[in-house]
Amino acid sequence: MIADILTGAVRSGTSVLFAVQGELVSERAGVINLGTEGAMLAGALAGFATTVWTGSPWLGALAGGTGGMLIALLHAFLVISRGANQLATGLTLMFLGMGLTAFFGRKFVSESIVGFNPTPIPLLSDIPFIGNVLFNHDPLTYVSFALVPLIWFALFRTRLGVIIRASGEREDALFASGMNPKLVRYGAVLAGGFLAGLGGAQLSIAYTHSWVENMTAGRGIVAVALVIFAAWKPLRAAVGAWLFGAAQALQLTVQQQGYPISPYFLFMAPYLITLIALLAVEFRKKSRMPEALGKVFTGSPGGAG
Amino acid sequence: MMRSNATAMTNAAAAAEPARAAGSAEKAETAAGAGATGLASKSAEAGMTGAAPSPARRGLPPRAKSALMQAGLFAAPFAAFGVFLLFYGVNPIDLYVSMFTSAFGNRYGFGEVLIKATPILLTGLAAALPARAGMINVGGEGQLAIGALLSTAAAVTMLQAAPAWFGIPAMLLAGALGGAIWAGITALLRVKGNMNETITSLLLNYVAFYTVGLFVHGPLKDPASFNWPFSPPISDALRLPVLNGSRLHAGIAIAVVLAAAVWWVLSRTRLGFRIRVLGANAFAAERAGFRVSRMQLLTLVAAGALAGIAGMIEIAGIEGRLRPTTGANYGYLGFLAAWMAWNHPLRLVATSFLLGMIAVAGNSLEMNSGLPSSSVHILMALVLIFLLAGGRIGRGRRA
Repeated sequence: MIADILTGAVRSGTSVLFAVQGELVSERAGVINLGTEGAMLAGALAGFATTVWTGSPWLGALAGGTGGMLIALLHAFLVISRGANQLATGLTLMFLGMGLTAFFGRKFVSESIVGFNPTPIPLLSDIPFIGNVLFNHDPLTYVSFALVPLIWFALFRTRLGVIIRASGEREDALFASGMNPKLVRYGAVLAGGFLAGLGGAQLSIAYTHSWVENMTAGRGIVAVALVIFAAWKPLRAAVGAWLFGAAQALQLTVQQQGYPISPYFLFMAPYLITLIALLAVEFRKKSRMPEALGKVFTGSPGGAG
Repeated sequence: MMRSNATAMTNAAAAAEPARAAGSAEKAETAAGAGATGLASKSAEAGMTGAAPSPARRGLPPRAKSALMQAGLFAAPFAAFGVFLLFYGVNPIDLYVSMFTSAFGNRYGFGEVLIKATPILLTGLAAALPARAGMINVGGEGQLAIGALLSTAAAVTMLQAAPAWFGIPAMLLAGALGGAIWAGITALLRVKGNMNETITSLLLNYVAFYTVGLFVHGPLKDPASFNWPFSPPISDALRLPVLNGSRLHAGIAIAVVLAAAVWWVLSRTRLGFRIRVLGANAFAAERAGFRVSRMQLLTLVAAGALAGIAGMIEIAGIEGRLRPTTGANYGYLGFLAAWMAWNHPLRLVATSFLLGMIAVAGNSLEMNSGLPSSSVHILMALVLIFLLAGGRIGRGRRA
């Protein structure tokens, strides 16, 4: 049963994992994107529609990422170029994502696809316990395994990473060394949008194999929260995403076993666990927010900023 | 890994086609946006030449100019959405006319607008009040839901036989209490746990949604409902009085009075002054000896109570019973209305009305053109996007 829950944790956590890594990159560059929810929805629909049209889930995944990137482009333009309030913009794009996908997704509700299916990795999947938990998944999940160390390496061991982090911490220093912080932020937000869209596509073409209106159900918002829970560290963010997935898997298992617990307690669990984890992190005082984000959260009293 | 990368690369060229198709809406909008700004500037010019009082003065005074720019910003999203509609074979002019007449043509339609504006106004206040104290409350959604839950619970368990003069205020208090409790969690986490209220209030929205689900599927489920998830109806005595010939109920009066009250407190009392000082400069507030934590707690709890009252009004004014989706999205719309109003309680009345109008337009969209009513979310987002993009125009004095 534990193996079942862990397998389920990875399976349903993957979509959040993509989104959370994307949001992390974006926030490291100093932009918080609540529109991640909208980007995931756009990615889920674009990915699903493309898979229906072409039959190729890989094209679907690519289209999903592109869909998410387009929503993020709008966010980047409004926030970076027009100096709009980041939270209000994010919420607006969440609504845009909901509206657009509900509108265009209507005729896809009844469609079915083959999509991605679990493909066990030879040899590795034969390892007892771990083999099934880690190496019997859809291809996008394997991509997500590779993504986490990749993001960590890019952020903390490369020049590009220093530049991204500098634009979130010391914008003027970056400017002084002859670079354009706005451009860096654009790049980070677009990359974040691509990953969020990919996460959405994983949800529709690998996890549920269907399109349902508003199917992300707040996963994008959870991703934003998890970044803070993870103290802006990629590995911890991945753990957070799997934790969220585990809570979802637990809920399925409990239902299957017929325990007399209302499923609604279990629906709540992932959000509560995230909250409790956030509190635990806060009490250990280990978290340090990129400075540019601090400004977003303090808000401006007139509300105009 | 390498191999899958390679396939992805070779597929990239082929993917461009469907990706373009998926993004066509986006493109249509940007194109429409460009056209719309062109239109807007043209009309602004026309306005300037028409209104310029004498040739000696060049152009308009800056204030009128910024008003025109703002008018353009309001018109642009409708033009953009119009282009979007044209793609679907719907005549936008006809549709806007029918939207306008359905909102203002008769008492019923106008009532519908006010009905939608009521919860937006209250959750807007729930966002605006903490914003003036330097906090961001995105939890109106959850606070409304718990307010609706508690007021329904009070109504169906204790107040079924109560007369209106006692039952309605009691229900209102229960709603306010529910919202206050929910915001209180956020407030405590902020004050005691030093946790950011934006994130916690957002997460608690989902917890609230499932809490309502828990109750309407469990303890509060109507035994006579044939397994549908909703509560038993509240008694007729507890329903808010309704204006003849419409569904408009007394809730709008409650909301407007509360908006005026929040305005009065913020601008005319010592407490309001302190809240504004706290929002403008938390450090100065602390130095001046304000009890900052207590003020933050109080402001957030009051905000929650306002959103909770919105939940009660939804139950007592419209639905008559609690459903899992009662009040869905009003919390977020309220936040956006507050942002549009620069967190000013009286301006908020106007922006809530505007968002209410667009929400009602969704119904006529579905009836008159067969488009799904959800497409009105697109129009709403467009209005906000243009406002966000033009954020600096015409608000220099306030920003």
